Amino acid sequence: MKAYLKEKLYYLKAAVFHPFDAFYEIRFRGRGSVPLAAVILVLFGILQCVSYQYTGFVINLNDLAAMNSVSIFLTWVLGFVLFIVSNWSVTTLLNGKGNLGDILKVTAYSLTPMICTLVFQVFASNFIIAEEAMIVYVITGVGTVWSLFMLLAGLCVIHEYGFGKTLIAILLTFVAAAIIMFLGILFFTLIEQMVVFIISVGQEFMRRL
Amino acid sequence: MRKKNGSKRIKWCAAFLAAGLALAPAQAQASDGSSYVYNGYTYDFYGNAKEGPAMFQLERTISAENLNGIPLSGVNDVCTSEDGRIFMIDTIESRMNVFDSNGEYVYSTKLIRTADNKIALDENGNQIMLSAPEGVFIHEKQQEIYIADTGNKRIVVLDMENYGLLRIINAPEELIGVTDFVPSKLAVDLADRIYVVVQSSYEGILELTREGEFAGYYGVNTPMVSLVDYFWKSIASDEQKQKMAKTYAPAFNNITLDGEGFIMAVTYDSSASDMVFRLNSKGENVLREEGNTFVVGDIWSMGSSSTGSQFVDIAVTDYGTYALLDRTKGRIFLYNFDGEMLNAFGSLGNLKGEFKTPSSIAWMGNKLVVSDSVLKYIYILTPTAFGQAVLEGNEKYYFGDWDEALVSFEQALALNANYEAAYSGIGKNYLMKDDYETAMYYFKMGNNRVFYSKAYNGYRGEWLEGHFIIIMILFVLLVAAVVGSEIRYHKQSRRKAKAAMKLRNSRKGRAEE
Repeated sequence: MKAYLKEKLYYLKAAVFHPFDAFYEIRFRGRGSVPLAAVILVLFGILQCVSYQYTGFVINLNDLAAMNSVSIFLTWVLGFVLFIVSNWSVTTLLNGKGNLGDILKVTAYSLTPMICTLVFQVFASNFIIAEEAMIVYVITGVGTVWSLFMLLAGLCVIHEYGFGKTLIAILLTFVAAAIIMFLGILFFTLIEQMVVFIISVGQEFMRRL
Repeated sequence: MRKKNGSKRIKWCAAFLAAGLALAPAQAQASDGSSYVYNGYTYDFYGNAKEGPAMFQLERTISAENLNGIPLSGVNDVCTSEDGRIFMIDTIESRMNVFDSNGEYVYSTKLIRTADNKIALDENGNQIMLSAPEGVFIHEKQQEIYIADTGNKRIVVLDMENYGLLRIINAPEELIGVTDFVPSKLAVDLADRIYVVVQSSYEGILELTREGEFAGYYGVNTPMVSLVDYFWKSIASDEQKQKMAKTYAPAFNNITLDGEGFIMAVTYDSSASDMVFRLNSKGENVLREEGNTFVVGDIWSMGSSSTGSQFVDIAVTDYGTYALLDRTKGRIFLYNFDGEMLNAFGSLGNLKGEFKTPSSIAWMGNKLVVSDSVLKYIYILTPTAFGQAVLEGNEKYYFGDWDEALVSFEQALALNANYEAAYSGIGKNYLMKDDYETAMYYFKMGNNRVFYSKAYNGYRGEWLEGHFIIIMILFVLLVAAVVGSEIRYHKQSRRKAKAAMKLRNSRKGRAEE
């Protein structure tokens, strides 16, 4: 068990520093782990809640009285789930070789640099003045760019795409995500109308009895 | 201790509640208009309008009844002097009327006279009659009244004591540019320079010397260019560009002088990028906007067609707190020197205390004098208990009386606990007293991040100073650890190298054997 965890964590670290090689190992030699990826995703959602509340006052512009941690958590986590699902639906059509698990692993592993810089941001922002905020922003920015790069590299490797095709796939992913959201909203509105209809028929029925 | 405070607060609340209930009928619109109570609000950091008491209430109105039968038709400008006189310009009747601070009639003129009460004549021998004047300014330093005699395209200067003619300033001969000399509003600074606003002039404010010679155009009012216009202009050919509508700099619409001798101006041109100006000697805008909103009045406007606030006049106190008069909603906005919004109140309507077409505003001590060019009234507004506390707090802070300012701001907070400007005001005074921790607490309550950062800087400095020895020891230990490990590493590698050398030598020896 310990050796197993050690290996998974080793490949997480390798993915951060050598994304192409490590994601190759993860994709084709089974070095990745879906549970670890899920843990990272959940951790990222929790960290977003933490950063909403505990980022230092100087750069924290959030209205803490109006904070809703469930909504923040779900927005981030479901956002990534939506990205994963729509990326999978797009790449299936575009001859992508990666399966759903691979996309989940790549997406979640890519969040690692952002998680690190987010922790740094929450901690450091409590000890800075406005003039030093730029330093924190730059470091957070580096983390974000790093994560994006990892994501691009990972998607290239697992789908066996070139760089250009990966970019096109990501663009189409957002289109697919919009369609999924539209269908979802449509579904829920129709269901709601149906439920209301059934309830009112029931009420009518009860009153005439 | 805390519990005791709590129960005290509850008692206070109960007292206020009781007082509020008792006063409730009186708070409604009184028929004589003597106690018109406005509804006030401010914006918090998140842009929500927070209701609160208004800083001013209607004290009295001045109407034609106070003028002994002289008609009063449409006041376009008011100005007050330090001795408490109110000067107003009635554009339609072409008159300057003077009242004392109680609204009693003092003087009224249309035909300018000399000091010994004879009819004054200009250089052509004509009587000097005002014609649709639009502006008046009191120059305390020289005891002079400047009247912008707009219809006659000249400035008339009178003596403040006997209202006698001192001199007339006609269009300067050296005037360059395309601006016609039609003075509308004016201000005179401490160096006796005359600043003249010409409505719809895109060249800036006219600057004249005391003798009336042209000194230049003053003030930068940059227009906003929309991205779409910018795009089309960037791809248009020279010929096309000539046919396109030109973007002119917006005009300044009103002007006044602040306590430090800076010119403050407003514009209501919708294409201007700034609406309120505090102009330095180079004519650049140096208005402080350190508050939670920019100095733009209302930050939300209802409906797509409605414009934002349009400021027709500005009035500044000696301590930098200024009032802006908005003609869109008939509101008066108050900002302090740092650009923090203190209060907004007033509305358009037909009731006493409401406005139709507000035209001008001036301070009279801590009172406000507001005119309307359609209503035949002048309003004198007096601060409420809340307004008095806020104004005093800002005044005391500006002049450096930190302890007195604290008392005033705490009073304001007792009347309106949602009031961010008071929390921030208390914080500023604690900051000045170097009590950084308390200041931080209040800046956090007031959502003032700029000043919180300043207080935290001080707090952090003190903390580092206080824990200097521990930090130093930790630092020395760290350096020692690094150096130690470095030495150990070198020793080890040297030992290894020696051992390797020995091994090689012994091998060599063996081979030679």
